[in-house]
Amino acid sequence: MHLSDSVLDHLRQVVALPDLTGTRYELESEIGRGGLGVVYAARDIQLNRRVALKVMDAALTGEAELIARLEHPGIVPIHETGTLPDGRIFYAMKLVAGSRLDLYLDASQSVAERLRVIRRVGEALAYAHSHGVIHRDLKPQNLLVGEFGEIYVMDWGVDRVAGTPAFRAPEPRLDQRSDIYSLGALLAFVLPRAAPPALEAISQKAMSADPTARYPDVPALLADIARFEDGLPVQAWSEPLWHRLRRFGSRNAVLLWLVAAYAAVKFLLFFLRNL
Amino acid sequence: MIDLVRDDTAIGGPHDRFPSTRFSLLEAAAASGPSNEALDQVAKLYWKPVYRYIRLKFRKDNEDAKDLTQSFFAAALERDFFASFDPAKASFRTYLRMAVERFAANQHAAANRQKRGGHIEFEPVDDQPATTASPEQVFEREWQRQLFTLALDDLRSHSERCGKRLPFAIFESYDLTEDDRPSYAALAARYSIAETSVTNHLAWARRMLRGFVTARLRGVTSGDQELNQELRRACI
Repeated sequence: MHLSDSVLDHLRQVVALPDLTGTRYELESEIGRGGLGVVYAARDIQLNRRVALKVMDAALTGEAELIARLEHPGIVPIHETGTLPDGRIFYAMKLVAGSRLDLYLDASQSVAERLRVIRRVGEALAYAHSHGVIHRDLKPQNLLVGEFGEIYVMDWGVDRVAGTPAFRAPEPRLDQRSDIYSLGALLAFVLPRAAPPALEAISQKAMSADPTARYPDVPALLADIARFEDGLPVQAWSEPLWHRLRRFGSRNAVLLWLVAAYAAVKFLLFFLRNL
Repeated sequence: MIDLVRDDTAIGGPHDRFPSTRFSLLEAAAASGPSNEALDQVAKLYWKPVYRYIRLKFRKDNEDAKDLTQSFFAAALERDFFASFDPAKASFRTYLRMAVERFAANQHAAANRQKRGGHIEFEPVDDQPATTASPEQVFEREWQRQLFTLALDDLRSHSERCGKRLPFAIFESYDLTEDDRPSYAALAARYSIAETSVTNHLAWARRMLRGFVTARLRGVTSGDQELNQELRRACI
């Protein structure tokens, strides 16, 4: 039997499609491919709503169930997990309308908006870490910006995910500090070219090759970003004197203007009195 | 030695034995030395890709390419071919292709040394199918084709053994046709069954086909990780 190219490609396609026989879902279309599986748009026939159906390549246990229990505004809720008739594991998740972070970012976004994204990602990450779950493959392609500006962290990793080189920590065995490295790489990615040196320093500290030189946890990294936003010195950077003065000036501009105005009035009065 | 070559289309022909689905033959072969069963699995899947690769890469004619392919698999049995495969470095498919390339290049060089005192000259072969694809792309394409051919043979045998001739006939009419695919309604009318039965029969056959593709790959991969990667390359 000789399979022609067209029949071969057709077969390659139909065996890759998830077999939803006996499930409550009807397949609509493929919407993305991740490290561990393919995501499809599908319709939940029972509840008459559209869902995202992630069909995994490999059978996952333990941690997958843990991920399914995570409930956070930054983590896409999982409605159901199950096994397809062909043995593959699937997750039915909320179908989020939005744009991937790497497609969302353009020159119009302010530094404040970019930092808001990092903060939201960090909050989801800190929550997951507190439940013993690490992401392992944090990158712009795994972050979704919803239509109301909400941020979702997708594709929570499991053991076999290798990570994406530019965002992956160098250590072979990934843990929570590896996610901190990736968050630092993500901060570097979202920052504009002429970024404030304090933010660059935060990113570099998070991306230290030595895990112990990184922030001890995600909240510590977020706290340093918050210090920057409040005009306070950040832990990651010992700033030069002139920079400290400039920061003091911009943070206390009103006070300095008042002092200057007071000094000017005093000088004027002194000058008039001696006429 | 197992009989690997009858003609260039006989390898991987119909058979009624299911490949092992429980463990990787490669792992077993690496642990206890090459076995006929392991090589048989590998040869069934890779004979045609290797043959096409040698023809295209080294511009060999049909007979020379068959001889070289045969010699390669025979040599693989005698050497520590399976033991020196390191899954951390490459997939077995890539490892095998590179081994073929080295083997064929050495054989080719040796033949030329004998004929001309060491000067290598590739002779053009006119009867190869015209293609713009690289030998590596042809190798992968033939690997996919052979994988699905073997899995289809498995599915056909299984259907006959289990009394599932109707599902297979519907699958054949719909998924294996070269012409325009008939509608589900037309198939239902042709076989006097309900349209939903057509859907179910097709789903069964595709599910089984995926299972046989997976089983075939499991026999020639080093473990779950490589298996999943190869499945992704085999399927779209």
